Amino acid sequence: MFKICLSASLLFLGTAALAQAGVVVPHFADETANSGIHSIYKGDWQYMVGGGVAAFDCNGDGFPDLFIAGGENKAKLFVNKSKRGGALKFEEATSTGLEFDRATGAYPIDIDGDGIMDLVVMRVGESQVMRGLGDCKFAAANTSWNVDGGDAWGTAFSATWEKGNTMPTLAFGTYIDRKFEDEPWGHCTDNWMLRPNDKQDGYGPRIALKPSFCTLSMLFTDWNRSGTQSLRVSNDREYYEGGQEQMWHVDAGEAPRLYSEGEGWKYVRLWGMGIATADINNSGFPSYFLSSMADQRMQLLSDGAAKPTYKEAQFAMGTSAQRPYAGGDERSSTGWHTQFEDVNNDGLYDLFIAKGNVDKMPDFASKDPNNLLLQKPDGNFMESGEKAGILSYRNHRGAQLVDLNLDGKLDLVVVARRENAEVWRNVSNDLGHFLEVKLVEDGGNRNAIGAWVEVKEANGKTMNRENFVGGGHVSGKSGFLHFGLASETATQIRVIWPDGTKGEWQDVAADKFYELSKSAPPKEWVAK
Amino acid sequence: MKLLQRIVVILALLAVVLFNSGPSFADAQTTQEVILRWYGLINGLVRHTPTYSPPVAARAFAYLGVMSYEAVASGSDNLQTLAGQLNGLKPLPKREAGKEYNNDIVLNAALVSFTQVFFENTGPFGLKAMTALGEQMTTKVSAGVAPDVVERSVAHGKAIATAIIDWSKNDGGAVIKNMGFTENYKMKVGPQYWVPTNQQALQQVPLLPGWGNNRTFAIPKISACELKPPIPYSEKKSSAFYKEAYEVYDAGNHLTEDQRALAIFWSDDPLLTLTPAGHGVSIALQILKRDNVDLEKSVDVLARLGVAQADAMIGAWHAKYIYGLLRPVTYIQRHIDKKWESLLITPPFPDYLSGHSVQAGSLSVVMTKEFGDNFAFEDKTGESDGLAARHFASFNDAAQEAAMSRLYGGIHYRGAIENGLIYGRCIGQYASALKTRR
Repeated sequence: MFKICLSASLLFLGTAALAQAGVVVPHFADETANSGIHSIYKGDWQYMVGGGVAAFDCNGDGFPDLFIAGGENKAKLFVNKSKRGGALKFEEATSTGLEFDRATGAYPIDIDGDGIMDLVVMRVGESQVMRGLGDCKFAAANTSWNVDGGDAWGTAFSATWEKGNTMPTLAFGTYIDRKFEDEPWGHCTDNWMLRPNDKQDGYGPRIALKPSFCTLSMLFTDWNRSGTQSLRVSNDREYYEGGQEQMWHVDAGEAPRLYSEGEGWKYVRLWGMGIATADINNSGFPSYFLSSMADQRMQLLSDGAAKPTYKEAQFAMGTSAQRPYAGGDERSSTGWHTQFEDVNNDGLYDLFIAKGNVDKMPDFASKDPNNLLLQKPDGNFMESGEKAGILSYRNHRGAQLVDLNLDGKLDLVVVARRENAEVWRNVSNDLGHFLEVKLVEDGGNRNAIGAWVEVKEANGKTMNRENFVGGGHVSGKSGFLHFGLASETATQIRVIWPDGTKGEWQDVAADKFYELSKSAPPKEWVAK
Repeated sequence: MKLLQRIVVILALLAVVLFNSGPSFADAQTTQEVILRWYGLINGLVRHTPTYSPPVAARAFAYLGVMSYEAVASGSDNLQTLAGQLNGLKPLPKREAGKEYNNDIVLNAALVSFTQVFFENTGPFGLKAMTALGEQMTTKVSAGVAPDVVERSVAHGKAIATAIIDWSKNDGGAVIKNMGFTENYKMKVGPQYWVPTNQQALQQVPLLPGWGNNRTFAIPKISACELKPPIPYSEKKSSAFYKEAYEVYDAGNHLTEDQRALAIFWSDDPLLTLTPAGHGVSIALQILKRDNVDLEKSVDVLARLGVAQADAMIGAWHAKYIYGLLRPVTYIQRHIDKKWESLLITPPFPDYLSGHSVQAGSLSVVMTKEFGDNFAFEDKTGESDGLAARHFASFNDAAQEAAMSRLYGGIHYRGAIENGLIYGRCIGQYASALKTRR
């Protein structure tokens, strides 16, 4: 018996070692100094959270430009001047209309469906919807669209297109009531939702999402693939009383209502900072990763589509990331922006977590590097931040993994509190093949928010990816969706469109960029 | 003549009553405010400071209670010091004879100093709140008081706080590393022993395994109260152990609305509530305020309660790491129903004894001694969390309910609860026996 156990153990160890050896660690080069990016998220207590970045194409050249929140500093828009596959180069744009103070973060979304990306800027004070005018110019649209931007500590945003609407439903998340600076506990302000008016040319009155629990991330997501996105809300337990993580039913024509314990929603409480989502295990359903202080949480759907019940799996999967993996500081970590992407193009979702102390919290690490957790073939994750070259001890907040130079390899931009934002180029030369696709459809929902993109893998599995607006930590992106294809040089792809239409499986070649629409075969995108 | 004699007697009695009752909250609204505001803030700090798990919180409330008591006792003709009665507590700084002091200023200064040290590791808002309350209360209590009295009173308050803080430093609980999770802890191996019950990396080892070795406050040593062992571990369906586990399983599956409500009411999770000891202090504060209890009795109650609850936690942790018993959720999932989950979050440390039960038992003894048996009260502790107030006919009723809440919550076997209450009552006797009146 002993021999059998020993042999089994050795076999297990051998398999694990092989699996680890099989993971390609990408390499990133810090190009901050010569990138032209200079933006510091500055400010005292009202800026201890926030510090987001939005990556989107504001001038129609296909390259993601970067809007970076500055807190007490002016927010900045950096126009992407990089060459395809080349060094990361940006120029600060002027007189764009986005030079806000008190900005905490932003999400790109084409609200009016005119094909030009708009931007929702979260702020301490009135949050602003900025209508894209083209050529990286923007105009305030709160008044013209009757958007109630509130007067709160804006910290989260998400949007969805409810059935039958041409304009999106907007959800705004807020944090502590600023009147209670001396004793903020238990003083969370209401989140709210705005639905389009009957004419679909603006918005109706705010719908308060009561109760609200000091929110730091929101995400409309189709958790059970029903075709309707629900609103997940991650809340900071440091400040709420009687609170918990939330998910709202948002069904067309009905008042939003919370998922209940009776429906299977579990009572979870954490220092909720950010939400990442992806179908990390090819189950067909999204998993969720919630950044927090100390242990981060990985949530896997446990009882199928009938019940929104999630089991935690962070320890088993190696994604706890509860303390720094480098730098020698053994205190607990503080996680902020988090995002699933495939950074080494091996067809497996990897996980990024931005890290940084809130503000000299003595029980938490002050040297707290960002995590880059690569998924292994066995489904578990391994820390690779240092090996990948992204080790940094700045006090990080928002971030984006995004292909900034359109070479099929995801780059990284991270905002830091009281320090300059950083940008890394993915300079790996041994990654797998890739595919990048942009969804386009007629009508108001031009970028098909709420669609699912499915890509066949060589192993017979299907990668599933939801097209969403929201999540992370006050940071979002629009544009190409990225897939790693490992050794595949061609594959098939299809789209489940937001109205439920299942597109045909289409042949696509690896290492290309495509535009996908309902009515036409995949069209290769070529830079102008 | 008889009438005159009667009047004299009545006046004399009145004088005795007035003299001996000490300043009441009605006579000294500021004093009441000093205590209630600082305790209120400290309850908030306990809730929002990551190292403040239940044993750590109980320890802080003990030192806080003793310090507040000594600050008042040092100027009282009625109260006597606890130095020499509590383990390791040496004589405290005295007030200068013949010099005037202001009790509010002494107490406030001590509380400012204490809070700064005990909660130096709280978050940025906690630090701001401490500073703000310190400035606000210092201004308030000093208004209209002669500068030399202010100076003398502040110095004395600080001296009392320093002495208490010095006393606290070598009790074994002053330094909390890694949130209390000792990484090199060697786990007991065997089917009956505790294993981690959640997916948090930090909690793959149990909380504060050495806490049971800390210096106790009022009990002379940890063995002063008899510790009954748990029933023998067994996986046989006919065994008493299986039946105990099955009781938890069955109760959890058939909870009444009230059982569910009371389990949540007494949940007292760290970082989300006041913790069990903070809940106990909250009950005391509600009664002190409701009944306008005088200052001397107030600090007496808070000191005894703090001491009893801290000793209870040391005792409970001592038991937990002697037996290292696995939690119901582990046993049930292994032997009864692999998909079963407890209503409450199972705490990350062994089952036996139930800390909540030991704490509740100690509280019931102290509070019954101070306020009497069948003392009815309403507990609104959970109000800010949206939990309805609960009514109790006595402290024993409250303790019984608090203890049983752990079975309904699915996190303790009956044996850990019932023996916990007995053990806690024994511990509470020592705090009750402290001599505070001259």
